[in-house]
This record gives sequence, structure tokens and C-alpha cells, in this order.
Amino acid sequence: MNASLARLHRERPRSRLVRLSLALLAALVVWAWCSGEFDFRPLGDPARREHLAQFVTVEVVPYPLRGAEFSWPALGAWAGALWREHGAEALVATLSIAVLAISLAGLGALLLAPFAARTLATVHPFEQACLAQQGHAGRRRAWQALNALVRAGLIFLRAIPEYVWAFLLLAMLGPSAWPAVLALAIHNAGILGKLGAETIENLERKPLAALTGLGARRAQLWFAAVLPLSLSRFLLYFFYRFETCVREATVLGMLGVVSLGYWIQDARAKLFYDEMLFFVTLGAAIVLLGDLVSTVARALLRRA
Amino acid sequence: MRAEGVPLPRAGAARTPFTRRRLIVAAVVLAAALAAWALDASLVGLVPQAGGLELVRDFFARALRPAWSYEGEAPAGAAPLWVAALVAARRTLVFAVAGMSLALVFGAVLGFLGSRAWWEHEPAGGESRLARFLRRSVAPAVWSATRVVIVGMRSVHELLWAVLFLAAFGLNNVAAVVALSIPYGGTLAKVFSEMIDEAPRDAAQALRAAGARDLQVFAVGLVPRALPDMCAYAFYRFECAVRSSAILGFFGFPTLGYSISQAFENLHYGEVWTYLYALCALVIGIELWSGALRRRFVA
Amino acid sequence: MSRRTSGSSAEPALRGGAAPAAALDFRTATATVDFDSRAALAGVDFHCGPGERVALVGPSGAGKTTLLRLLNGAQRPSAGVVTADGLDLARLTPAGLRALRSRIGFVHQDLALVPNLRVAQNVISGALGRLSTWGTLRALLHPRRDDLERAAALLERVGIGEKLFQRTDTLSGGQRQRVAIARALFQEPGALLCDEPVSSVDPARARDTVELLNALAVERGLTLVVSLHDVALAQSCFPRLVGLRRGQVVFDKPAAAVASAELESLYRLERAEMTDDAS
Repeated sequence: MNASLARLHRERPRSRLVRLSLALLAALVVWAWCSGEFDFRPLGDPARREHLAQFVTVEVVPYPLRGAEFSWPALGAWAGALWREHGAEALVATLSIAVLAISLAGLGALLLAPFAARTLATVHPFEQACLAQQGHAGRRRAWQALNALVRAGLIFLRAIPEYVWAFLLLAMLGPSAWPAVLALAIHNAGILGKLGAETIENLERKPLAALTGLGARRAQLWFAAVLPLSLSRFLLYFFYRFETCVREATVLGMLGVVSLGYWIQDARAKLFYDEMLFFVTLGAAIVLLGDLVSTVARALLRRA
Repeated sequence: MRAEGVPLPRAGAARTPFTRRRLIVAAVVLAAALAAWALDASLVGLVPQAGGLELVRDFFARALRPAWSYEGEAPAGAAPLWVAALVAARRTLVFAVAGMSLALVFGAVLGFLGSRAWWEHEPAGGESRLARFLRRSVAPAVWSATRVVIVGMRSVHELLWAVLFLAAFGLNNVAAVVALSIPYGGTLAKVFSEMIDEAPRDAAQALRAAGARDLQVFAVGLVPRALPDMCAYAFYRFECAVRSSAILGFFGFPTLGYSISQAFENLHYGEVWTYLYALCALVIGIELWSGALRRRFVA
Repeated sequence: MSRRTSGSSAEPALRGGAAPAAALDFRTATATVDFDSRAALAGVDFHCGPGERVALVGPSGAGKTTLLRLLNGAQRPSAGVVTADGLDLARLTPAGLRALRSRIGFVHQDLALVPNLRVAQNVISGALGRLSTWGTLRALLHPRRDDLERAAALLERVGIGEKLFQRTDTLSGGQRQRVAIARALFQEPGALLCDEPVSSVDPARARDTVELLNALAVERGLTLVVSLHDVALAQSCFPRLVGLRRGQVVFDKPAAAVASAELESLYRLERAEMTDDAS
């Protein structure tokens, strides 16, 4: 019994990849923390501590309340002024940037995903592998090339962070809302395109192959079968990315586009940390709003 | 076979899923139009500004010819460009790994406390008064407080945390890593708690039927069920963390973003592409690794 | 009662030299279980002595699963008393109930295994009721040698010994069924309760499984209560049949004494039921 137990234990299915990965990740963590990049000493430095104390007790306190008694009316007046001057408008701008960007991204992804899905972007969509080998070699290779190109393009679009896209577009288009909108749209089109392609690839092959067998053309297949089947899932991803877009739209303003981030940066440059904190809190509030919209929409979609 | 007198269902009585979906799509289109109007977004804005067109042309001209050595004056005693790029990439990875390791700690602890699974189930044999009090009053309070903390952590972007910490602590790398770990930890906690709550309960019930305690049921019946998805998600966040870590460089921290912004401001577009490709390589490498693991793990 | 026949392989002793569990007897007295809209069980009197083997038969919705869950303490009766081993289940403390449940092996209809754990881990998790926290971690990550040997012996007995370290989701449905049985047996229970163990299995394999359950019960002297759809199978394998219909006991007699007319009346659909199902 013992011998056979040992044999079974030796022969058990193990994944070399998983083990190696775990070891590598553990090594990475140790290496990262011990790499000498991180200096914990400044956190104990007395001058630093004093600066920190000053920051927390004075700098972030709203200006009219510094050194004076706390009063709600004063706080309200200060907050109200900030809201009227910049806050409300920036809030609307941030939300609008997010909404427009994700819509454009969704549109782009809907156009690109069919060409990125390996099961759809072939000579015979959804056919079994053996059948896929027959037919014109040239057309097969053309489809493969197109598929690879679109996939590579999507990878590039999403590998570059939104911030970098915005940075580049700002230099090209000048200060307006478009750099932020396009940056978010481009990056999220890459993400939604990939998720959409995955959704299409995960559809059940047989019913769709049956339609192709009936003689359905590619466009018919797309509109009558693939799109209705994958739309719910796609919309779930859409609203999930909307949440992220709201978050990023807030921050992109720091580059100079008129969203909340712009006023955060502005306050920081003027060393008005109390105002900066106000706008950061406002940013947190719209993120919560975006979360709420996204959760509600996704719950509605799931119940369908 | 229907008995007499049983009415047929009214046609169109139910809101079908297709109707709801179309309404949602229509709502999205309407919202987009409103947003465009609110931003005064006209297509005029898409026209590159004065000098912008040249910039676009010059910039994309270097896309296939990234720089291998410094354009213009090399800083005194500096390593070759490609070494500098590797160093910046290494720093980006280091920040991301450190930030994710902290985030995982937050995510595991808060994810556990923020799930309903550890307190919601009533033990079959009834419970003592103290246990009932703890379960009915204390546990939900802890759970609610955890969820509030999670939301608070998630709703401020890591760059905003970084900016706050910059003001409070100055340019400190540890502060940057903590700034990264707060929203990432919050997101991990939220998703982990959801995965645990949504894991199928059949194995857990079977173990409970065999006499296991709640904590044992959680550890053996629920967590292993949700673990593959949790790992896949954590790896995806790691990839995002590398991107965020690069962007921290735009604010002065020593990652790829710093190199990119400096090179761009000096109009050294070749160098910009070098750094961009280094970032791409990092991100794509992690994505490939993550994909391979996912194929292996989620059998 | 004999613990094992001469044919079965010798099994390593229980850890700590504990005595093997004595068979349990079950009794319900006018047990009633009400769900929101209907009575799942109404005034059921059921008694099963130690070491007895009983098959519960009846159409879907008859209350077979509910009765099994009553015996296990997973379901509280709305009225009436359920006792196992002489203990009133409703009066037990949580710890006491846990101790009792660790002596009852339950095989669920949907098997309820953790798919991405290895078979050995799933089997060993059957004894969680007896383990401390540290023991649980150990069982999951690095099982003890004698636990592994016991699990291997059990899997050998149910016919899938070589699958000890495979991932559970790589097994076929029938093999997973065996793993669930092995998990229940790993507890060294005094009774084995099985809820529809063969409902989704082909007839030949169903017979194999039911015969295996009976053989195991006889070998180890366990009380065995199994709910089955297939009446012919129940009649041929079990010495005693209990027929349930709409939450009430219709008959309770030795298998040989059950007439085909009685079985027919059990499963006959009434007109009212037909329209109920159709709407």
C-alpha cells in the first residue's frame, strides 16, 4: 500500500507553470521590497514629522476656518463658493468626458471585435477546425493576417495608458476636451475590443455553424445571431469600463483639460491644499455616482 | 393539455430581455449626445492646433525608428539610452510589485471581512445568546464598516492619492507605493468579497452536513471554489498596476512616465518611442504570462 | 455486528485508536415540515433501526429529500420530533449537533464536491467535523500519511483507487459519485444517507452503485437510508421499502411484500396534478 501510494503521489498531475509562477512571484515581491528603491528613514525624520503635522492640522483645513472656531456656515460658504466657481462645471465636464469617451470606445469595439475574434474572422466562420483547413489558401491567409493585425492593434491601444495617450493628444490637438475624450476612447476601445472578441469566441459553436451551413452570409450572421447573443455580455463590460472612465476622466484633468483634475492641479500649484482636498473629495463623489449607475445598469442587464 | 377556464398569458405582458437591452442602448446613445452637447464638443476641436500637424507627423515618423542612443546632449556620465530605459522599466516593475503585494494584503483581509459568508449562515443547531448577539449585531456592523472603508479606498484614484502624499510627505517612493496600493487594495477587496459570495454553495453545505464549523466550511468549501477566479483577477490588476506605476512618473517619481514626459518635452520623439516600447513590452509580457496561467488554472 | 467481510482489504486503524462508530438508529414522530406554500412532510412516523437498510421511493416532490435532511439535522421540523441515536435533534447544542452530524454520512444528489481540489483532498474533507483549525489547514495543504492511506483504501474499495491525486473535475460523473461516497465513508459514520444517488446515471451503472452501497453498509454494519426513483432497483436491492407521496407515508413494508398495485398507485398522476404541472 505504501509503495503504490508513493507512486501515485509521484505521478500526480502537477503544473510546472503554476509552480514556477508562484516561485517567481514570491521572488519578485522579495526583490522589489529589498531593491533599495524604498527608503523608510524619511518617515521617521523629525523635520518630516513636523511638516506632516503642519500639513494635517493647518494646510488642509479650509482657509476661512484656520485658527478660528469651527462653524458650519463658514465651511458652507467656502465650499459653496468653490462649487459655484469651478466645482459644478468641472463635475459636469468630467462626467461628460467619461460618457462620451466610453460611448465612442464601445462603438469602436463593436466595429473591431468581429475582426479580432478568431472564430469569426476566418474563411468559414464557426466551422470546425478540419473544415477550416480546406478552401482557398490565399483567402485563409488573408483572413489570418487581418485577424492578427486587428488583435495586435488592440493590444497596442490598451498597452499604452490613457494618461500617455492624453499627453500626446494634448500636444497635437491643443487644450480642449477632445484629448481626454479620445485618449479614454482609444484605450478603452482596445480593452472592450478584446473583451468583445473573447465573448464572441466563447459563444457556442454548433448553433452558429448550423447557420453558416444554411448559407448565411457573414453580415447576416453578425446581425442576426452573433450580436444578439453577445450584446448582453458586452454591455456588462461596457458599464464596468464606464466606472473606470469616470475615475480616469477626473485625473486626466491634471494635464490641463478642464475636468476636476485641472482644478486639483491648479490648487496644488498654488499650494492651496484645502481646495485641493475639496476637489479630491468631489472627485470621490462622482466616482461613487459612476459606480452607482454602473451597478444599477449591470443589475438590470443580469436580470434580463 | 389545458383545463378549461385557465387563461392564456397576455401577449406582451412581460418586459422581455430584448426590450430592456434596447432601452439601455438607447439610453447610452442619448447620454452620449447630451455629453457631447455639454462639452461643446464640435468636430472643429479634432483639427490639430497650429504646429500640431507637424508634431503628429514628426512623432509618428519615429514610431518604427525608436532611438537607441540619446538625441541631443546626453546627461554627463549617464548610461546608454537603452540601459536607462531598462532601469526605468525595472523601477516601474518594482513599484508595481511592491504596490500589488500591499494591495493583496488589504484585499485579502478586507475581502474576507467584507463578504457575507463568514457571518450570514445560521448554524443548524441553534446558537447561544452570545453567539447570536455577535452574529446579528456585531458582525453586520463590522461588515458594513468594512464595505464603507472599501468604497472610500476605491473612490480616490491612485494618482490623487499620490498627489496628496506628495504634498504631505514630499517625493518619497514608499508613499508612491502606498498610494498605488490603496485603491488597488480596495478593488481587490470588493471583487474578492463578491467572488466569495457568489461561489456555489453546494460543497459548503455538504461539509456543513458532515459536521464542519463555519470557518472550516469557509476555508475548504468556499475559498478553493473561488480561488482560480480570484487569482486571475489579481493578475489582471497586476498588469494595470504596471501601467499606473508608469504614470506615477509623470509626477516626478522615477518610473517610465518620468522618462517619457522628459523626452517628450525635449522633443526627442525617438526616445519617447523607446520608452513606450519598453512599457509595451512589460505590459504585454505580463498579459501573456497571465493568459498562460489562466489557461492552465481554469481547467 | 461484523465490521468487515473477509474479502475487503485491511484498513489502517482510526487515528487515536478510537472505537469504530456504532450504527445509528433514526426515528421521527409525527414530523411535519412546512415550506411557504405547501407541506413537504405531514405527520410522518418513521423508524429505522441500527444496521437496517431502507429505500425511500416516491414521485418527485414526495418529500424524500426533506425526510433525509430531517434525519441529518439539516432541516428542522415545523412540528414533531426527530431523534437520531436516541438524541432529540432539536434539543442539541450547536457543538452537539456538529458531533452527531460527523457520525452521519450524507451523499448529496448533486454530489457537492469542490471541483478544483484533488480527489484526496475532497475525501479527507469529510472528516472536517473532527479537526481543529490547524488540522483543517493541514488536511487541505499537506494531508497526513495515515489520512492519505485511509482515503486510498476507501477509493480502492469503491473502485477508483488510482484516481487519488487527480483533480476532481477531470473525473467522469460516475467516478465523482464514487468520490462522494468515499467522502461520506471517510467520516467512519454510523449511518449513510443517500439522496437520489443514481438519478442521472445509466441503468447498468445505477445497479452497480446501489449494490455497492448495500455491500458497504453490510460490511461496516451501517444504517443505510437511500431515496430512489427506480422502484425495480429498490425492490431488488433493499430489504425494506418506504413509499412516500405528497409528504405522507403510503406504505412501509418489506420489499417482497410490496404489491405492484401499490407501486402503481404511488406514481399515478391525478388529473389535478397534471394541470398543476402544465400551467
